[in-house]
Amino acid sequence: MAYTLRGRLDSRLAAVLAPLAAACVLALALHVWWPVELAAIMIAVGVLLDLTVYHRFIAYQPAWAALPLGLLELGAVMGLAIPLNVDAPLVPALAFYWGAWLLAQALGHAVLPLARLSYGDDGGQLGRAGPGIAVAGLVVLAAAGGVAWATQPPIVRLAAGVHDGPLVVDTPQRLYGEPGAVVRGGIVVTADDVTVRDVAVLGGAHGIEVDGAERVLLERVSVLGATLDGINVRRSTVTIRDCVVTEPAGTHAQGIDISFGFDLAPSTIEGCTVTGGMEGIVTHFAHVRVRDNRVSDTSLRGITLTEMSMGKVEDNEVAGALGVGIFCGDYSHCSIEGNTVVGTRPDLASGDRTRLGFGIVSHYGAHAELDGNRLEGNARPVASFLRATVEAGS
Amino acid sequence: MPEPCAIVGGGLAGFVAHATLRKGGLSPAEIAVFGADPDPAAVWRGRAAAIRQRRMRSESDGHCAPTSFPGLAVRAARRRRSLLPLVQTACDRFHPTVAEFLEHVEELRAATGWNESFRAARIRRVRPVDDGFELDGHGVFRHVLLAPGHPGLAFPAELEGDSRAVHAYEPHEYADRVEVVGAGMAAATEWLNALAAGSAVVSVRRREPQRRPLNLPRELFTRRGLAAYHRTGPAERVELLRGYGAPSYPRGHDWDGPVEEARREGRFTVAAWPNGAEQVICATGFKRGFRHDDLLAALVAEHGVETAGRWIVLAPDATVPALTDTERTLALAGAPGQWAFPAADTLVGAKYAARGFLRRVQAWRTR
Repeated sequence: MAYTLRGRLDSRLAAVLAPLAAACVLALALHVWWPVELAAIMIAVGVLLDLTVYHRFIAYQPAWAALPLGLLELGAVMGLAIPLNVDAPLVPALAFYWGAWLLAQALGHAVLPLARLSYGDDGGQLGRAGPGIAVAGLVVLAAAGGVAWATQPPIVRLAAGVHDGPLVVDTPQRLYGEPGAVVRGGIVVTADDVTVRDVAVLGGAHGIEVDGAERVLLERVSVLGATLDGINVRRSTVTIRDCVVTEPAGTHAQGIDISFGFDLAPSTIEGCTVTGGMEGIVTHFAHVRVRDNRVSDTSLRGITLTEMSMGKVEDNEVAGALGVGIFCGDYSHCSIEGNTVVGTRPDLASGDRTRLGFGIVSHYGAHAELDGNRLEGNARPVASFLRATVEAGS
Repeated sequence: MPEPCAIVGGGLAGFVAHATLRKGGLSPAEIAVFGADPDPAAVWRGRAAAIRQRRMRSESDGHCAPTSFPGLAVRAARRRRSLLPLVQTACDRFHPTVAEFLEHVEELRAATGWNESFRAARIRRVRPVDDGFELDGHGVFRHVLLAPGHPGLAFPAELEGDSRAVHAYEPHEYADRVEVVGAGMAAATEWLNALAAGSAVVSVRRREPQRRPLNLPRELFTRRGLAAYHRTGPAERVELLRGYGAPSYPRGHDWDGPVEEARREGRFTVAAWPNGAEQVICATGFKRGFRHDDLLAALVAEHGVETAGRWIVLAPDATVPALTDTERTLALAGAPGQWAFPAADTLVGAKYAARGFLRRVQAWRTR
């Protein structure tokens, strides 16, 4: 197609209307704004490239060019989304982008030529419908942007340096740490819709405590030397992403503990590194997804789902645990897939036959489904105790 | 009361216009098509067969349906159960076979009710009357599209009446040594045909052909290139159209490989003039200009239609300005429509004229 400038703009705006509407629906359904923010960046990048690059340098655009141009725009969108702090999880964001791209291809090659006979002759222009579509897009974007502006939690920036805690977050906000921002004595979150990002916590009973809050995101936080739990979550829904919890200091300290939120939306722990403590990651009566984490040198168990918890433990690395690598206990239902458990040592001093260095244990009525796990250098591989079951896949 | 629409010319340009009007909501009874042969592809088929054409120069959207989608690549993918045609069309490398194109014409002919609209008659005069045009005693029509086709085969003056000369678009075989006059698509096809038949070929040409996938640059097929073209004045546009008439054929090994091999073997040479071969194939296209067409020549002579060089001056939507207003439309499609669309003698050009005509018809119907 040899697009005219207006044809490019008409076609682009027609193609983004549906994704924009979908972004608004997603934002409403998920109580997150990243779909709208992403759609807005996609539109801005596309229109800017149309105006400054494409029209000038691409007189004729063969169909195959849509792919490299799509990749170019994806790079530009990501390049803007990161500094603009768009809270978009990578995989859903990529799915949204490529879904919109596919829709644009279907529209440009099939739907619009069918709907408008002269679409090709007109270089992609949509006649009188073009301005209407542009106005509709702008109205939707402005409305969504206005709502977002009015309802987004404020951003609170924590300056570099050491701040005495405990820091209590009891209103919705986005607490962003500048490089070098440290809180000594812990952070307590009690409000919904809180984000804590790029903050280091030193000491405290719990490094970060989340109590009775939903839609909390803890991202790129680090906790060092908490005396109880590195991150302690009660009656809450959280996403903990790319965290580091190191050397909980107390005898009974744990890395991350999510408990008593089974009736709430699932919580996610992903991409975290937990070193030391009794249990690296533990859940009680919770609905969770634990994936892509690295847990090492724990003194009781590496990863535990217990007390009627339900969830997936996938693609984690558990190394050097004492007694048990991954534990599914007390009537929990656990899907344990793709994990690597190495070097689990027997805890002979405990006198507990369930702690003889098992890579994976299912215990007391629990049901564990195993698939694709790599167990190496453990004293023993897999075991079940007290009416618990193990269902092995590959 | 005038009838709504008439198409004068039953070839592919008229066929495209009929399909477009049908897509626009007109019934077959509201459209009269005047032509000599009820098969809209009859003339084209004969010419394609004469030059032994197997593939179209046009791409996936080179068909007669009013919408570009689904194109012939989609049909081929479905039929062959292969994604290859779609990949090829994404890279502008898909060229449907002549058989695929003609089969599509047949399907479209049945689907659009072409036979119901067709009237076997040759229209020699178009006479403007109140609210329309009187067509040679066949009635008065409010909106008329003239698609008379090419006005005849062009022979070089020096070969007129030469018994050795045959036009590429006439049935012929190949002598041991043939001279092919011309340097466009038909000439290139004839080089390959004659070489494949074992002949020695002399390409007679006075200028080197241009090499491009379509017969004009791609931007001239859309408003991007047309907008600038439509802004030109008469003198400049005449020069542009003369330039666009230069011969061309696509690049690629399929075209160059056999010629290069024959050149090495001494079976392919280039000359500026015919030089005594036993057969001269004139791949010199068609007569050009409205004066060669009786209907158009009469229209210009009798109604003072504006012309420039050999072209009838048209509005950008391919209508004749002096004879078109809110009550009636006279438009030109096919080769005579070049003033509005430089590639008017292609299928895309036929669609361009047909869409402009449909817009006029619809505007009148919805007043």
